[in-house]
Amino acid sequence: MIFNELRKHRKLASKRNPMYEKNKFGKFWVYIGAAFWAAYLIFFGIIFPSLFEETSPNMEPYYIMNGSILIFILIADFLFRFAFQQTPTQEVKPYLLLPIKKKRLIDFLLIRSGLSSYNYIWLFLFIPFSFLTITKYFGFWGVFTYCLGIWLLMIINNYWYLFCKTLIDEHICWIILPIVIYGAVISSLFIPKESLLFYILLDIGNGYIEGNLLYFIGTIIIIAFFWLANRQLMNKLIYAELSKTKDNKVKHISEFHFFEIYGEIGEFMRLEIKMLLRNKRPKTSFNMILVAVVIFSAALSFTDVYDSSGNMKLFIIVYAFIVFAMTTLLTIMGYEGNYLDGLMSCKETIRSLLQAKYYMYSLFELLPLILMLPAIITGKITFLSVISIMFFTVGFMYFLFFQLAVYNNNTEPLNEKLTGRQSGGKSRRLIVSFAAFIIPMVLYNLFIALMGEVMGEIILLFIGLGFMLTSRLWINNIYQRVMKNRYKNMEGFRDSRV
Amino acid sequence: MITINNLTKKFGSKTAVQIEDYSVNDGEMIGLVGNNGAGKTTLFRLILDLLKPDTGSISIEGIDVNKSEDWKKFTGAFIDDGFLIDYLTPEEYFYFIGKIYGLKKQEVDERLTPFDRFMNGEVIGQKKFIRNFSAGNKQKIGIISAMIRYPKFLILDEPFNFLDPSSQSIIKHLLKSYNEKYQATIIISSHNLNHTVDICPRIALQEKGSIIRDITNENNSAEKELEDYFEVSE
Repeated sequence: MIFNELRKHRKLASKRNPMYEKNKFGKFWVYIGAAFWAAYLIFFGIIFPSLFEETSPNMEPYYIMNGSILIFILIADFLFRFAFQQTPTQEVKPYLLLPIKKKRLIDFLLIRSGLSSYNYIWLFLFIPFSFLTITKYFGFWGVFTYCLGIWLLMIINNYWYLFCKTLIDEHICWIILPIVIYGAVISSLFIPKESLLFYILLDIGNGYIEGNLLYFIGTIIIIAFFWLANRQLMNKLIYAELSKTKDNKVKHISEFHFFEIYGEIGEFMRLEIKMLLRNKRPKTSFNMILVAVVIFSAALSFTDVYDSSGNMKLFIIVYAFIVFAMTTLLTIMGYEGNYLDGLMSCKETIRSLLQAKYYMYSLFELLPLILMLPAIITGKITFLSVISIMFFTVGFMYFLFFQLAVYNNNTEPLNEKLTGRQSGGKSRRLIVSFAAFIIPMVLYNLFIALMGEVMGEIILLFIGLGFMLTSRLWINNIYQRVMKNRYKNMEGFRDSRV
Repeated sequence: MITINNLTKKFGSKTAVQIEDYSVNDGEMIGLVGNNGAGKTTLFRLILDLLKPDTGSISIEGIDVNKSEDWKKFTGAFIDDGFLIDYLTPEEYFYFIGKIYGLKKQEVDERLTPFDRFMNGEVIGQKKFIRNFSAGNKQKIGIISAMIRYPKFLILDEPFNFLDPSSQSIIKHLLKSYNEKYQATIIISSHNLNHTVDICPRIALQEKGSIIRDITNENNSAEKELEDYFEVSE
């Protein structure tokens, strides 16, 4: 009974979210984006068999998939979840004072998380792939058992992610756990040369394809293990969260006097940096991104993991620059939603706020630039490629991100973590974040194919520069549109304020 | 100073505000009273252009509030926590507001001096972010932030809420003297009839969105009428 009630509440929460009713245009793009992403995965599912056959003609494509690629898909899936999946404990609070056992609540939320449609997404890749590679030896039954196995692996990934995310929410130092695990896994794929892990993964894949019951039982035992681990952890942390006292006294208050000379915009830049440093949610996501970029940069600079793939190198450069801005700019105005009424009662503050944000996040891009320097020095990537992506990001991509200021009307909680409610508008963010990675990569490859590497990068750089130099104009345009949309947005911010 | 014409605001089928014609003169101090759900806060939000009216208009000093932002230069307001940037310390917040209104730190400090008793040593120098203050102290921070900009027009929603008795008494006197000293136009809403009657020479009674009585209050003359209306007499 309680399960049904909570399921109903979940449906109501999404149906009654201000975004749901108010943004039909957004919903249209959500469906388009979802279809695009599904098509993208299907495309890979279709081209992988021939690609693997070409690269390793002596091996069946599903051997390559299981032994070498699957683990990276699981890692990518794990990383994507940080952007789009919340821990179930974030929804527990409203029910804590009801006479319902907390363990039952957590159980339900864990079940729902395991059955989430998100865990099926990768089947868009694996179903066509297995149809093209497995049916000839194992028939449709082999396709079915293989895809079932993949789905179960995604459920393991789901619970493994929840376990890590809950710990990281508690303290950022726990980020070391997935880093060490994945570091060890990736290392053992390459060292020694005859990787034992490759054969283990191969064997697991074969077990699924053959429909070997023991492999499924083993997988289910691992799911049960992570289930119990999550259950114990979340149960413990809910109590810790409830009994926790707030940061009552601050030992040192940073003033950032440097910004004072820049007048009102400087004041808003100072406000932005204080917002990032003093609130749990933006601070945690910023730290996590920093760690991820450092790891990617180190892997690119000091290992040969990415040496063979030009697109992977490009992806890392794009990731480093895009992701820093994306953590906050995807939800631009969302944090300000907490105090927007106050800002709106002062004249033209939103224009200054947007300009300050633009300058601040442009300055932040110096950080990934510095982190890319080792890779430039070691000759893995060129300075021009890094600079061109940086300028393109700060120019054109920021121009796109800032458009969201006109439409975002969901207040983002600044300090909520374990016991908060969910915020809405995730689907649009999902689309924009995919587009944010795809656009620079596609344009980069297009320009290079049409005009050669150096000229292609210079063109990308100049496009970015053009948008940077005209930033005051387009920010002013965004400000005018924000003001036109203000009533609708302020209502949304008010409705979604925790 | 303020002119309201043919103003309506509905939420679904419920009429939150319906005011045909109402004006507030320069330097007036008005108390807005009414039961819960009467539409007081909605009216304030409409005046401050935080909500879109369904019909009608509001102008401050002849400026239509939803056509220009110029009125914001001389308007100060505090409605609720949604006005406070809670990850700043009170000092930082006051300086931030000061900066937006072109005030130097020293000027802000000077303007804070009259509020020393009101803050009672619990606001400044606490090394705490606003989010960690009690509801009463947050209320004080909000009221002060609205007043340090020396607005010609001040709106405060339930300024006595959460305040201890002595702070209520102090803010009453501060508002009264501010009104007299700067000839500022002030509108406050309150459920506290005694306080409202004590400081407001004009009282608007709002019910179901409409201002049903516009009461002149000389020497607490409105007290009886309001007590009768709200049935608070013994």
